[in-house]
Amino acid sequence: MANRMETIIIVLVLISIVVSAATVYYSTNMLANITALSNQVTSLQDALEAKLASLETTLVVGTTDSVELTLDPAQAYDYFGWNIMQQIGGTLVSVSPGSSTGTDFVAELATAWNASSDLKTWDFTLRPGVYLSDNVEFNASHVKYSFDRAIALIPSIPEGAPAGLGYDLIINHTEVLSTYKVRFVLNFPFAPFLGILATRSSGIVDPKYAPQAQVNYTASSARNSTPLAFVGPYVLSEWNRVAGRDLEIKLDANPNYWNIASGYPKIKHIIFKFYSDSSTLRLAIGAGDVDMAYRQISAIDAQDLETNPNVKVWHGVGTFIQYLCFQTKRAPFNQTKVRVAVAAALNRSTVTETVFLGTASPAYSIIPPGMLGSTEAFSILGDANYTYTKSLLAELGYDETNKLTFDLWYESSGHYPQSDSQALLYKEALEASGVISVTLKNADWASYKLNRDQEIMDAYVYGWYPDYLDPDDYAFLYWASWLHTNYSNSTQVSLYDQARATTNATLRTQLYAQIDEMAAEQCSVVPLFVSTSLAVTKPNVYGVYLDITMDMRYWLISK
Amino acid sequence: MGLRTYIITRIILTIPTLLLLLTAVFLIMRVLPGDPVALHFEKKATPETMEALRHILGLDKPLWQQYLDYVWGVIDIGYMVEHGYPNLGKSMQVTTEDVGGQIFSAFPATLELAIYAIIIAVVIGVLLGVASSKKYNSVPDHIIRGFGIITYAVPIFFLGIILQLIFGVYLRWLPTGLRIAPTVEPPASITGLYTIDSLLEGNLYKFIESVKALLLPSFTLGIILSGVFVRLTRTNMLETLRLEFVTAARARGLKESTVTYRYALRNAFLPVLTMMGLQFALLLGGAVLTETTFSWPGLGRYIVTRINFRDYTAIQGAVVMFGLFVTLVSLVVDILYAYLDPRIRL
Amino acid sequence: MKEENEAKRSILARLIPGFVSLTKHGPSGWMVIIGLVIVVAIVVMTAVAPLVAPHDPIESRVGPIASPPSWQFPMGTTALGQDMLSRILFGGSTMLQVSAISVLICFVIGVPLGLFSSYVGGNLDKTFSLIIDAVYAFPGLVIAIAIAAVLGPGVVNMALSIAVVYIPSYFRIVRSQVLSIKELTYVEAAKSIGAKWHSILFKYVFPNVVPSIVTVATVNFADAVLTAAGLTFIGLGVSVSIPDWGYDLTKGRELLSSGGWWVITFPGVMIILLALGFTFIGEGLSELLNPKLQR
Repeated sequence: MANRMETIIIVLVLISIVVSAATVYYSTNMLANITALSNQVTSLQDALEAKLASLETTLVVGTTDSVELTLDPAQAYDYFGWNIMQQIGGTLVSVSPGSSTGTDFVAELATAWNASSDLKTWDFTLRPGVYLSDNVEFNASHVKYSFDRAIALIPSIPEGAPAGLGYDLIINHTEVLSTYKVRFVLNFPFAPFLGILATRSSGIVDPKYAPQAQVNYTASSARNSTPLAFVGPYVLSEWNRVAGRDLEIKLDANPNYWNIASGYPKIKHIIFKFYSDSSTLRLAIGAGDVDMAYRQISAIDAQDLETNPNVKVWHGVGTFIQYLCFQTKRAPFNQTKVRVAVAAALNRSTVTETVFLGTASPAYSIIPPGMLGSTEAFSILGDANYTYTKSLLAELGYDETNKLTFDLWYESSGHYPQSDSQALLYKEALEASGVISVTLKNADWASYKLNRDQEIMDAYVYGWYPDYLDPDDYAFLYWASWLHTNYSNSTQVSLYDQARATTNATLRTQLYAQIDEMAAEQCSVVPLFVSTSLAVTKPNVYGVYLDITMDMRYWLISK
Repeated sequence: MGLRTYIITRIILTIPTLLLLLTAVFLIMRVLPGDPVALHFEKKATPETMEALRHILGLDKPLWQQYLDYVWGVIDIGYMVEHGYPNLGKSMQVTTEDVGGQIFSAFPATLELAIYAIIIAVVIGVLLGVASSKKYNSVPDHIIRGFGIITYAVPIFFLGIILQLIFGVYLRWLPTGLRIAPTVEPPASITGLYTIDSLLEGNLYKFIESVKALLLPSFTLGIILSGVFVRLTRTNMLETLRLEFVTAARARGLKESTVTYRYALRNAFLPVLTMMGLQFALLLGGAVLTETTFSWPGLGRYIVTRINFRDYTAIQGAVVMFGLFVTLVSLVVDILYAYLDPRIRL
Repeated sequence: MKEENEAKRSILARLIPGFVSLTKHGPSGWMVIIGLVIVVAIVVMTAVAPLVAPHDPIESRVGPIASPPSWQFPMGTTALGQDMLSRILFGGSTMLQVSAISVLICFVIGVPLGLFSSYVGGNLDKTFSLIIDAVYAFPGLVIAIAIAAVLGPGVVNMALSIAVVYIPSYFRIVRSQVLSIKELTYVEAAKSIGAKWHSILFKYVFPNVVPSIVTVATVNFADAVLTAAGLTFIGLGVSVSIPDWGYDLTKGRELLSSGGWWVITFPGVMIILLALGFTFIGEGLSELLNPKLQR
């Protein structure tokens, strides 16, 4: 009996020892577990906060564009390449954000400038305290190197921007006057020279990364993929590309940015995401996959998004102009009256309203509205001015039974936006006059160009993107030889040459107005519409400037 | 002739076929109206600048010399070893990039799409074909036969667009384009097939994302192709199921499913296998429309976009690649046929 | 000899279809009937469209822009405000023309080529086969694209580019049939009597080849419809002033992301119907004319 009692007590004691040991063990472990758990939670919280914070300073941009080939100013000629180059590089002058004329220049890497009275010698005072990577200070020798390089590479890159803009024809040579003073000597008086200097092909290169040869995309080295000096608000930190299309581009705020005191860039990191087409992009911004969608959102999608509370749609002016060309070397368009009659029968607003849903506006001058020298010259012909059309054509024997017939050509491989819908509406408008009969013909871009050069098209629609923002880069379209309209007018040409040889804005405006007036009388080339630009963002994005430069300045954007 | 002789003859015959292909593309390209040089200059260009570019692209040489240079470059083994792809010249649109490199990075996309499409087609086709043959002349049989015929009449891109609309726009379950969502970094390229590469990398998230992007295009192509396999399987199963050994198996008391799948299907499957080979070749051509619909960065889309730019070298290279693949596949199929049916060797 | 004569006769008997006689041949006959009904219905629809369509199919802004189906516009309107119903009624003509012309071209070129090459045999046959195989190895749509790009848009040009892709199929089918018929006894017998090669070809060989050609032709029709749609999708179609199902299918994609389904769906369904019609005819005919498969 006593034995059993002892056994029981010993067992009970053993059990309690075990239990208490276990409890002690587990509670200390639990404490450790709890601590570990709470540490995890804290670190997760930190990570989340960091992520949130970075979200505030990161902008994800979706686009259907892609860098065409390089980010080398001696070559690049595409919109998107130029846009990226603008964020990371610098030019001597730039156009003020929000500009409507395109000619209000502000200081960038140059603080002051003046031109000789004959407009052939241009001196620039450079900004001190600007650093290229590796703490080399920017000075006049870099300017000379950049421009000499661009010109020297023209023979081997004949399709590049400096060749297209005519750097070798315009610039005679570049001189270093002192550390911060540089001089350009031109071959002829050229008022729009500042405009040329503000383009991306005038970007300053860093001699360390800019050999006397084209710099191409180099996988896994963003710095070696561009010769530009990283003097802009951002640096290129990542660029991935496969089979000629971009996969990802990342920009980070440049710690050496000369204007960092201004608080720019507001957004510290930009990530570009590349979508295949505008529908996919529209779906992405609608779902919030990206913060901003810029180029391209279709007009229909934009209209649909206006009513979407999750996004904000921004509109701005544009510089792409579409115009109608006539073949003047043979009937029927060898007669001015016929050209004027057809021009008067056009109805621009149906196209801009129906096809573009307001993302384009009618153009009555080859110079976009807002720009210096733009007028409403072609409005004297009226829109759908059928009485005028009929009376003009009647003088030449055309009426309801004997209609004026011709072929209207449009490009059908998507090179211009909605060319087929446009063409249909032009045909309808012209035929509504009752005295015109139009046959629509189409060709893909390559054949279209060939047809243009071979001059087999009676009337054809063409488009123009400017290289630099100056009426000088538009007005010549009225008689451009490469349009093969076989139209020439020495008066207009001499007015044009006068206008590019003076910086007097009033005088230039008058000269371009005269050119426009004559153009409306002659109708060799009839302006149709100017595109507007649009961007779609989340509601918490600000600072999106859609001005006449059509440059998206990401450093001005904030969230 | 013996099998070995047949194989060797067929392999040797592929060379003139390919050469013919190359020559044909070369000539067709030159006949296309439009000048690749002119297409570089949107704006005014002087004759001198155009001549300069023409010289850089090698287009100022006489035609026969361009042809010889090109052929010589293609068979340059040293270049192939050095770069991992043949010398197909430099693209005429993006003048510093090698066409060979571009094609070899675009081809895996098409291959991945084709492989999964064929798998889907065979799985759907065989299953439906078997089911249909089991219930011969009943309503399900007619429905399945109808399915087999209708899928042949549907334009690929129409089906693709409808699927995009339902799953991409209305339900938002699946992406409507690209090989992987733009917010996800693609896996490191080992085979070029995103699904395999992400598994090799051990990254499950990327694998799931690439499968999501693959689902719509491969189902589109797969459904369209499955019709052929449905009918083929059904016909062959019907014949096989009537053979004596099947009756014998049934008489032995084997389960119906065993009889169907282990005995009958195995014998009926051989023509399906050879049909897979044939369809694979055709698939590569049909990929053009699918890739355009889903913005799939494969060889088909590559060709279509380059035609617009009259990029001679790019198109020549891509078509020869296609042709090579088709020839290889049909060679394998022909050899298989010859192995199985001695009459064909004559 | 006797079996071959019987086979010839029954084929001929089948090739002269009484509509009623077709129904006596079971499900295959019904397939052919359904297919014919569909195709004929579409042809008739296209023919009477000018009389029946409520609006001009290419006139813009007859209705609101991109509006869904309603009582006024039962199939909705396009992005230019065109009436979809009218466009559907008119839109088949391009495809019908393209497919008909391409089948004609294939027939006229592919069949004689195949007959001649395989009958003559020898090196000529081997050369032709090699060339045809090379064409066959070409991805079909790519040839069509290249030719369409060279010739430019237009009905005949599209038909030509499709035809080039299909000629090899005709060639191969004809050739395989001829190769097997060539060695048959009654052909040898005819040769030994001294019959000329062209009379042998047309009196003996050709009639036996016809059934397979007809089958290929219907498949060709269906494929031509689909390829024409595909070419339009890539941008090599006809002008915008011609209503076309393929064109609407392509343009309708723009409405997709804002949820617009009607511009794509109706033309798509019509294209499927047309291709289906031809396929039914082909399937039915091939089952009728190949009695082995009939159970």
